Amino acid sequence: MPAHEQETATAASIRLESLTKRYAGQAEPAVDNITMDIPAGEIVVLVGPSGCGKTTSLKMINRIIEPTSGRIFIDGEDVTHVNADQLRRRIGYVIQQIGLFPHMTIAENIGMVPRLLGWNRARISERVDELLDLVGMEPSAYRARYPKELSGGQRQRVGVARAMSADPPLLLMDEPFGAIDPITRERLQNEFLRLQSNIRKTIVFVTHDIDEAIKLGDRIAILTKGSKIAQYDTPEAILTAPANDFVADFIGSGASLKRLSLSRVRDVELNQWAVGRLDDDRAQLRQSLTESDHGSLLLLDEDQRPVRWVTGHDLTRSGESLDRVGLPATATVEPHATLHDALNEMVTSRVGCAIVVDDQRRYQGIVDMRTVMRAIDEMRESSQARDRHAAVQPMEAG
Amino acid sequence: MTFLDYISGVPAYLEREWSDLLELTFEHLLVVLVTIVLATVIALGLGLATYRNQSGARAVLTVTGTFLTVPSFALFGLFIPIFGLGAVPTVVALVLYALLPIARNTITGLRSIDPAVVESAQGMGLSRRQRLLRVELPLAWPIIMTGVRVSTLMIVGIAAIAAIVNGPGLGGPIFQGLSAIGTQRGFNLAFSGTLFVAVLALLLDGVLGMLSKLTTSKGL
Ligand SMILES: Nc1ncnc2c1ncn2[C@@H]1O[C@H](COP(=O)(O)OP(=O)(O)O)[C@@H](O)[C@H]1O
Ligand SMILES: [Mg+2]
Repeated sequence: MPAHEQETATAASIRLESLTKRYAGQAEPAVDNITMDIPAGEIVVLVGPSGCGKTTSLKMINRIIEPTSGRIFIDGEDVTHVNADQLRRRIGYVIQQIGLFPHMTIAENIGMVPRLLGWNRARISERVDELLDLVGMEPSAYRARYPKELSGGQRQRVGVARAMSADPPLLLMDEPFGAIDPITRERLQNEFLRLQSNIRKTIVFVTHDIDEAIKLGDRIAILTKGSKIAQYDTPEAILTAPANDFVADFIGSGASLKRLSLSRVRDVELNQWAVGRLDDDRAQLRQSLTESDHGSLLLLDEDQRPVRWVTGHDLTRSGESLDRVGLPATATVEPHATLHDALNEMVTSRVGCAIVVDDQRRYQGIVDMRTVMRAIDEMRESSQARDRHAAVQPMEAG
Repeated sequence: MTFLDYISGVPAYLEREWSDLLELTFEHLLVVLVTIVLATVIALGLGLATYRNQSGARAVLTVTGTFLTVPSFALFGLFIPIFGLGAVPTVVALVLYALLPIARNTITGLRSIDPAVVESAQGMGLSRRQRLLRVELPLAWPIIMTGVRVSTLMIVGIAAIAAIVNGPGLGGPIFQGLSAIGTQRGFNLAFSGTLFVAVLALLLDGVLGMLSKLTTSKGL
């Protein structure tokens, strides 16, 4: 499928209307009369404590679970009683355990729905390669592999690629990063956001992790038992003005720290650090270091990728080659990362700052404590302004 | 006469009766193949029909298990009034014996599939039938094939007993031999019959093992 076709593919809006699910033999309904509008092209996160009915709500959208009562509309069309198999081919679905088909290659896994839809071989194969590229996996290396030959993170990527194979306007994701180690999870979340900024699908995303919800959601629905909506709003609004005690408790302490998850590295002004090239002359490097007001120099390789932090002392150790002295340049973040991620990296870095790199890992600048403090100040000011505004409003009305 | 004396008489006998024995072995093979094909079709059907239903599956396993507890002499004999003598009662009885391992492995195999795999197939819009044919059966296949191999080994042995209803195959020489045991001729018959049964069993198991490997995905 040509790229432009994918960009123009529409996202779908969803409306849940008085949706209820009562499991046989249970006194209370698992989902009790939920009504909710999900706008096209947004990531809407359903978040709430375990057992509150998130999964049940999600699975009623593609009718893996049939609702007891209520209706589901996709793009205004009532799909409560249409053919479920055909409905599901238009909806991408990713679950925590992923469920790749172990007996099929990665290409066969991703090509499954297109095959069901009767695409020809050439088109399927082109689409598979396109999707592998999209999720950052080299097609020639992975096409013919089997799921058992992949790491957890790679399986997750293939799961997402498979869900998008027929370019559905709507994706349902049930704790897709829940079983992944924290470091990989963070990377996958960032990739996911980058992907979404290209594809602009409607995504309903379930998690029990409020931090994940804040990071990923355009809108968040905080659910209580029976899938009752405690608050449905943007992350900013939920953090600055929790609707009730349940929401405030669920956000937990450190709401202002969590708001760091609302700003992205690409939105703040980066600082520059003194840099040099690995193959530069040492005298020249010492010169740059002295001229800067930094205690160390960041060395880049020939592709502008950060390699080492070196001090003036390191540069005088003539015996060692430059890529052996100093400290490795770890603690890197991509522009999609949040300031919260950057802060995390910063505290693990011995230099006290996070290096910002682009998706080719090329050096862009750095984020340090001052950047973070500035962002916090700005957020505080804007929320105070909003509070003042909110306080003035009723008087004007009256 | 010692066992060794008896054995030393066998090669000459084999040389003389070689072509007759091969013919009987071929008959034996045919009975086994027909039995296994029929049993596989039936057991697979029973397994597919009941694996998602606890009591249905239990009923299938209990009934097919009961067939196995009936002594083979009795079972072959029981069919004489219905099917008479020869190949038909032989195959009917053998199919009943062959059902349990295949049905049990079909049910176990289909049940051992990761529910997440089936759910993701469902979520992608595969119909019930497509899920079964494209996902569940291929995943359960190696386990089902193990059941087929177990049944085959068993049936090659039990088929020899079919001689009591005049069934075809290597049971003939074995029974004749046993009725003349103590003589060199009796020993020749029983020993070579048994030998050919054993060789046939090993060959079939090897072939099925290879077939199973060839028809199972490399991803499993
Ligand atoms: N198949 C089922 N049968 C009976 N009860 C169920 C079933 N699935 C979920 N439940 C119950 O429904 C409630 C909501 O479950 P679920 O939607 O999985 O919640 P969540 O995803 O928020 O953890 C829970 O109390 C759970 O025990
Ligand atoms: Mg859940």
